[in-house]
Amino acid sequence: MWDVVVIGGGLAGLLAGIRAAQRQKKVLLVTEGVGTLFFFSGIIDYGDVEQLRLLPGHPYQLFDQETINRGRKYMEQVCPDYIDTERSEAVLSPLGLLRSGDLVPKGMKLPNLLSVGSVVLLVPNGLKDFFPEIVVPNLTNVFKNGQIYVENLVVEEFQRWFELGRPITSVDYADYWRTQKGHKVLKQAIGKIKEKFSSRLENGEKSVVVVMPSLVTEYWENARRGKWVADFPLSVMEISSFSPSPHGRHLAEYLRHIFQDLGGEIVFGARAVRSELEPTENGYQRCKQLVVQSKGKELILKAEKYILATGGLLGGGIEAINEKREIREAVFDLPVFIPEEWSSPHFFEDQPYAFAGIMTDHQLCPINPLTREVVLENVYVVGRLLAHWDPWIQRCGAGVSITSGFVAGESV
Amino acid sequence: MKYRDDVITSLDTCIKCSACTAQCPVSKVNPNFGGPKWLGPDAERLRLESGAILKLALDDCSNCKTCESTCPSGVKITDMILKARRKRSLDQNTPTLALKMRLRGYVLGRAEYLGRLGVIWPGLTNKVLGLKIMRYGLDKALGISKFGPLPPYSQALGIRADQAKDGQNRKLERKVMYFPGCYTNYNEPNTGRMVIKILEHVGYKVVVPDFHCCGLPLEANGQFAKAQVNATHNLELMENYLQVNVPIITSCTSCGLTLKEEYPKVSVPGAERIGQQTFDLFEFLWSLHEKNELPLNFIKQEISLGYHLPCHLRAQGIGIPSLRVLSLIPGINVHNLDVGCCGLSGSYGFKKEKYEISMQIGRGLFEATKIGVNHGDFQEMITECGVCKVQIEHGAGVPTKHPVWILAQAYGLA
Ligand SMILES: Cc1cc2nc3c(=O)[nH]c(=O)nc-3n(C[C@H](O)[C@H](O)[C@H](O)COP(=O)(O)OP(=O)(O)OC[C@H]3O[C@@H](n4cnc5c(N)ncnc54)[C@H](O)[C@@H]3O)c2cc1C
Ligand code: SF4
Ligand code: SF4
Repeated sequence: MWDVVVIGGGLAGLLAGIRAAQRQKKVLLVTEGVGTLFFFSGIIDYGDVEQLRLLPGHPYQLFDQETINRGRKYMEQVCPDYIDTERSEAVLSPLGLLRSGDLVPKGMKLPNLLSVGSVVLLVPNGLKDFFPEIVVPNLTNVFKNGQIYVENLVVEEFQRWFELGRPITSVDYADYWRTQKGHKVLKQAIGKIKEKFSSRLENGEKSVVVVMPSLVTEYWENARRGKWVADFPLSVMEISSFSPSPHGRHLAEYLRHIFQDLGGEIVFGARAVRSELEPTENGYQRCKQLVVQSKGKELILKAEKYILATGGLLGGGIEAINEKREIREAVFDLPVFIPEEWSSPHFFEDQPYAFAGIMTDHQLCPINPLTREVVLENVYVVGRLLAHWDPWIQRCGAGVSITSGFVAGESV
Repeated sequence: MKYRDDVITSLDTCIKCSACTAQCPVSKVNPNFGGPKWLGPDAERLRLESGAILKLALDDCSNCKTCESTCPSGVKITDMILKARRKRSLDQNTPTLALKMRLRGYVLGRAEYLGRLGVIWPGLTNKVLGLKIMRYGLDKALGISKFGPLPPYSQALGIRADQAKDGQNRKLERKVMYFPGCYTNYNEPNTGRMVIKILEHVGYKVVVPDFHCCGLPLEANGQFAKAQVNATHNLELMENYLQVNVPIITSCTSCGLTLKEEYPKVSVPGAERIGQQTFDLFEFLWSLHEKNELPLNFIKQEISLGYHLPCHLRAQGIGIPSLRVLSLIPGINVHNLDVGCCGLSGSYGFKKEKYEISMQIGRGLFEATKIGVNHGDFQEMITECGVCKVQIEHGAGVPTKHPVWILAQAYGLA
């Protein structure tokens, strides 16, 4: 018998598991895959919390401002290299556009943009999904007083990949920079840039910075291969990446390790397929046990409390039955809130499907959208699976996952 | 037709996110290997549409199944790869591998025969395998890397007949059937003996029939027909026991995965029950604990250990029951490294052209192990898989054993 079983190993599930394990709970986390953290840029968005709290049903309405702030502080505490300055920070998107972020990794933080004289965009050879021809004009807009230069970095190690036409992703390069050899290669390249620009610096020009995709400059304490901080002769800004994102993967690995070090256990590659319910004394229902598909057999898992963190349509928490346009929640068959526009002819216009999900009470227990009655007393719903929000338009993806994950981890 | 429909459905669930390729340990270090996305769902479409098979690249996959436990959409990537391999082995027009490679596939695939040979004269075989000149010969003649950490052989575990003769009796006793597998049988029979001792200690009679190799090394080395024959033979030995709900216990994670995943697909009686009735040793012990049937009179152990999760245990989707069971023992402190594949993956790292790659794959694990030891977090490693053990000892130089030994100490059996 577990204290808590978490279903889903994305950001929301991991954070909920970490908080619960830290509170001395015996926690088992069951997950089919790695979740959307591999797509995650590493930049944590909260969105305009005050405004979003005014929207009917928005998950932020479930919490008071203080709780939202505590969740944010908690995230900073768990991942100390995310710095919370309590305002949004400017960082670079994969296309070199300026974008704001609420909690950002140190290495992505930009300096005072107007103080920068020269910007050198360092492009590793053959890097997949990176488009200098788009990035350069964008950087010109960002660094208004700066001059943009491009340096290509040919890495011998990947030459063969390049010749074979094998895509080299930012994850591949990020791994390489972290090795002794890779670090040396990069340090040398940056040293050369410094030399090239030294005369300008001496002539009193403003600072020179290097901007670079595919780099994670800091691996945090408890990283299994040791804490690692890149050390370069010039200051280097990281650009975030498209999927698979090295920052997202780094965060996913890190959270997994923290969770396991706190005594949590992860069951990988197993899907929760259904649940068995039982009535409670006061006439409600609760989950009695969970059925999980492992290789060859079904496992029965029993816990006091269950945290449902299975994501939305993308994570697998909501299944769409295409022809009928019906959707259902995959594990507990919870009643799903479906916006009316769902079946309208403008179906894909405003993406109303983004608002589909599970409605809950303030404790995050699922409720019936019509009667508002609690459906399952010992189940808590977190993350993307919640109803009434759109992470894309409202730019609050990680914010909602962190807040709800933290709150569920606190209350189980 | 059914299979094709299944494949098409799972093809369509691929959202092309490349997460699998980002995590694939082989793809990370081998540029010739396109990675699971390309070899699985992408190539599958090509194979289905044009009948073409991307032939040689298929061999680069070590079948560690990391891709599958990564995929956010549940695509059965390795199924596609293995099916394509199988298909290729039937395809007349495929350019056949050079004789040397086929011969090597034969030797490595026959872990069992290599094993039987080894134990007839363990001392001699070890000496012979240890000889530089011999390894040089294997390297040149068969393409078995002279640097790869070939495990030593010792006196085989042997069989244990069932005393009860008919099915009725079997039902009354608390009995399990143990599937030791080639590695345990021939390379670490003492671990096998300890598994049996523990099972007896917790109140079970143990039967070990004359099983053949589970078939995984055969599949991995392209010997599909032989794998099928072995599976059929083993299932015949199990059938009567399966009918009366006797659990089948494995202590090798690759055998366990094969029994749970591949055996149900064989069409002989008993196959429909094998998945449900196969248990990893610690999975079984934990299930006893859940029924309050596991003796908890442990001797306190003041010990810190590093743990490596074998890919084929991860792929079973049962979590890490050994750590759960060990956590019941007072004083034990385990550091779960969770840094991915050791690189050996069955017999992969023994192959000459794969040795370098396998060492590169394992680098993260070796580093993490050494860091743990240098920090004083632990001095010893545990892992369920025999070849992972051999690889960790070879790559990180840290003594490693099966967790059953820790349990044995705590029960006062070792
Ligand atoms: C492409 C992309 C980019 C993003 N970029 C940003 C960004 O830049 N900034 C930001 O703030 N936010 C971003 N987000 C949003 C943010 O990452 C998400 O809100 C958040 O990750 C959602 O996390 P989750 O844990 O709720 O769900 P998910 O990450 O979807 O995780 C769900 C998990 O549940 C598992 N699962 C599903 N069903 C089952 C089952 N039945 N049994 C067992 N396991 C199951 C899945 O395998 C998965 O691991 C992005 C999201 C995406 C998709
Ligand atoms: S099974 Fe392992 S080696 Fe093969 S494609 Fe998947 S991750 Fe790569
Ligand atoms: S991880 Fe799954 S969905 Fe993503 S590319 Fe690989 S097979 Fe496709």
